[in-house]
Amino acid sequence: MAEELTMRRAPVAEPLWRVRLHLVGRSLAGSWRIFRENPIGLIGLGIIVLFGLLALAHPILMATVWDQRTYDPIIGFDATVLAHPAPPSGRHLLGTDPIGRDVLSQLMYSARWEFGLGLLAATVSVLVSTTIGAVAAYYGGLVDAIFMRLADVMTMLPFIAVLVVLSALFDFQLLHLALVYGVIVGFGGQTIVIKSQALTIKVKPYIDAARVAGGGDGHIILTHMLPNLMPLAFLYMMITVTGAVFIEAALSFFGLLNIRMSWGIMINTAQASGYLLAGPGYLHLMIPAGLAITLFCSAFYLVGRALDEVVNPRLRRR
Amino acid sequence: METADTVLAVQDLTMHYKTRQGWVAAVDDISFDLRRGESLGLVGESGCGKTSIAVSLMRLLPDNARVLSGQIWLDQEELLSLSADEMLHVRWKGIAMVFQAAMNSLDPVYRVGEQIVEALQAHFPTMRVAQARERVAELFRLVGLDPRLMDRYPHEFSGGMRQRAVIAMALSCQPAVIIADEPTTALDVIVQDRILKELRAIQKQLDMGMIYISHDIAVIAEVSDRIAVMYAGRMAELAAGESIFHHPLHPYTSALMGAFPSIKGPKRELTTLPGEPPDLLHPPAGCRFHPRCPRATGVCQEQRPPLEERMPGHAVACWHPLEVRNGC
Amino acid sequence: MRKYLIGRFVQILFTLLIFQTLLFVILDAQPGDITMQFLANPKVSPEAREQIRANLGLDRPPLERYAKWLVNFSTGNLGTSFEHWPRSVMDIILERAPRTLILFLTGQLIAFVVGFSLGKLLAWWRGGVLEYGLTLVGVVMYTIFTPWFGLMMIWFFGFRLKWLPVGKFLDPLLWRKAEVDANFVFGRLMLTALAYTVLVLVVFIATRKLSAVWRRAALWAALVVFAGAAVLLWSRLDVGVLALDMVRHMVLPLCVYTLVNFAGTMLVMRNTMLETLREDYVMAARAKGLSERVVRDQHAARNAFLPVFTALIIGIPFAISGGIITETIFSWPGMGLTLLSAVQNEDIPMAMGALSFIGVLALLAHLVADIAYSFLDPRIRYQ
Repeated sequence: MAEELTMRRAPVAEPLWRVRLHLVGRSLAGSWRIFRENPIGLIGLGIIVLFGLLALAHPILMATVWDQRTYDPIIGFDATVLAHPAPPSGRHLLGTDPIGRDVLSQLMYSARWEFGLGLLAATVSVLVSTTIGAVAAYYGGLVDAIFMRLADVMTMLPFIAVLVVLSALFDFQLLHLALVYGVIVGFGGQTIVIKSQALTIKVKPYIDAARVAGGGDGHIILTHMLPNLMPLAFLYMMITVTGAVFIEAALSFFGLLNIRMSWGIMINTAQASGYLLAGPGYLHLMIPAGLAITLFCSAFYLVGRALDEVVNPRLRRR
Repeated sequence: METADTVLAVQDLTMHYKTRQGWVAAVDDISFDLRRGESLGLVGESGCGKTSIAVSLMRLLPDNARVLSGQIWLDQEELLSLSADEMLHVRWKGIAMVFQAAMNSLDPVYRVGEQIVEALQAHFPTMRVAQARERVAELFRLVGLDPRLMDRYPHEFSGGMRQRAVIAMALSCQPAVIIADEPTTALDVIVQDRILKELRAIQKQLDMGMIYISHDIAVIAEVSDRIAVMYAGRMAELAAGESIFHHPLHPYTSALMGAFPSIKGPKRELTTLPGEPPDLLHPPAGCRFHPRCPRATGVCQEQRPPLEERMPGHAVACWHPLEVRNGC
Repeated sequence: MRKYLIGRFVQILFTLLIFQTLLFVILDAQPGDITMQFLANPKVSPEAREQIRANLGLDRPPLERYAKWLVNFSTGNLGTSFEHWPRSVMDIILERAPRTLILFLTGQLIAFVVGFSLGKLLAWWRGGVLEYGLTLVGVVMYTIFTPWFGLMMIWFFGFRLKWLPVGKFLDPLLWRKAEVDANFVFGRLMLTALAYTVLVLVVFIATRKLSAVWRRAALWAALVVFAGAAVLLWSRLDVGVLALDMVRHMVLPLCVYTLVNFAGTMLVMRNTMLETLREDYVMAARAKGLSERVVRDQHAARNAFLPVFTALIIGIPFAISGGIITETIFSWPGMGLTLLSAVQNEDIPMAMGALSFIGVLALLAHLVADIAYSFLDPRIRYQ
């Protein structure tokens, strides 16, 4: 009898982590399929890839085709051109700015920083909001109340004004902006939505089962609640990137950030130089940077909208 | 069979609607009449076309639906040939409807009385607001609601009260025909029973024709004079209630009866039917029931059986109907 | 409902408290104290500096300073501006705030009405070139970089076409010989706007019993007639030219602000309307034999209004941010520009004051909108 029982049980071939990975892969594939159906998401993704290529291409160009002294986005200067800002030409596809720097080079150079800023801010915000959301949902009571009141403050108040003051009082670079913005957003509206989601998870039977089986609070939050909050959190990351890049551009435009080059700075340079209202031939100063910011932000927004359909089955087209 | 009493006559009604995968044959060649004061019960499984018929009668079809053929005669007027504007006058005054889950039929931002007054003023433009409100009070009393509730909002009503309000609204313009589409499904059994009895009483009192739609045969039995059994968009059997219950002729009807336990009857095994209702995108050829029918033969797979009267007042669409008893 | 409103009010007060605390922390976290700024400012005498120190209690422990800060705030004592010495911060706020308010309120109103109507029509006429076109315009406007858009508009309308002025509040040349000051004219203009709004509202309420057709006609008539009367009145006055100059300066900022803000409402309204059209009561309204227009406007749109209004409430801080940016681009002297220039000139009291104002504005707007919502949704009004 005993031999029969043991013989019937086959040894487990795959380790647990491999199985988990496989399942994650499968669900990602499913999500990708839904995402793929929506042209909006694909357009957004395409634009993001385009910007990524621009960002990657810049160091390559600088190392190979472009001459350091002429094309450096911050300190470059083209002495062979008589008057700066020069209109677009063969040497400078998008022209040069009032100080003689190549506009295209500036554009491409800034792309990597915008990505960095956006993704850092997004990551920080998601870390903050999922942790707080899960904790608030799990513990409830006073903890919940405090965080929700804090979230209220963050959602009701225009933080660009606060950031304006902060960036003037403290020396802000991209890193600081990303962190501060990420924290502000993380404590705000995102937390409320994620907390609601976490609440629906909290009442699921497997949470009770985990607790009965002896799982500690931390373990339950980490292993069971957080993975289920990931899709929603990922969606919010997209929106945070949009906001971060927008705010950076606005603050740079106001001249409040201590950074050398970004799209916002490009617009600032264009406006401060006064060339804008001086004549018709200076559009190349304005359009690339503004267009870049707009496209970059809308790309992430579109991806976020498409992700919304993946995360929220109700919105899917039947 | 039309008599002077007939208030609604439907002939060869066919309605299909378009989905991404193709055309769905929702209503296929349906014919029946309704007399004044008569209640016709439309029974069948979900998706058999009962609600589609109702929606076609009122011409409330969604954009992707088409009436492919047929005629609907309401008191000498053929409805399908009316223009959209003309149909506006027929709705509610000629035929009214109490919807499935009628509790959501009330607009949450307007007072209940206001919504009924709206219907009245749309159809009787000369009626003044005071008159209309008086009528609403009357209707409320008729359905067993306190007229003072007229100025409350729908969310302040309970489920049963909302149901009554919706019935009152349907009766407001004194329609010749009222369609009740599973009006009591969402209520608990006691309220359900009460409303059913009241609805029946009102119908008799106002001499309206009623089409009662349900998947619950017990409810249909209580409420209907005649019963039409629907299957896969077609009418399987049409007869007086008694006749259907005591000697169903269509195998499907018989299975339906057998599937419901009877409290009073002897203990017996409930019948179940193998298989599922057909996919109306690609319905089976011939008789649509043949894949599940224990009596099916070759002719059932090829030819569609017509709806024919096998006993007086009892019609069935089947090549091999169950035992026909004469003179019963 | 009263409980709901009281709860809201308390919540807003609490939020205000937290905000002021946050401001205090920011202020305090700075190295050194504010009077250091005075060292560089030649307008401030050493005695005055000592007085400020004592006044602000800068030599006291933090908690006492915090308490003083809160007390000062509640009594409206926001300090004295460095840049505009010796004017008090509160004084400057009172002067500039109305300008921000006018831009904000008018812009939001127009943006909401336009967005709502377009969204409603978009959902109603599904498909077609118009839907794609408008949606595209909507998405572009929603994500466009505001300063860039503003500058482009200035370039196009102010420079290229020369139709409108390129910024600022008024044309100094024109006003050089004026006998009245800008605030006087602006104040009168605002009163006109207020009277106009009130009159239109009165007509709106008075025509409640009328049928839809008559009501719409009456409203349009009111809008046009009262506007015409206002224009006529102003043109007869001497200061009319000055007023016109001010209005001309307001057109472009208002347009930019409205264009940037309408898209959000339009897109939300379209989605909400599509969902609402699927509701049972819309089907029931059709079944009652009501005309398509009545079904669309009285039932579907009226219900879709609520979530869209909620979205508007959530968007208040973004709308205010947008207002700040818009003012800055056009050098329009409202609170936004005040904030920025205060920050750039290291005028800390002014900056803090402007920040406080913006916070209070946001919270007040939120409260008012909440109250309005509770009146519009019978499910909250009658619990």
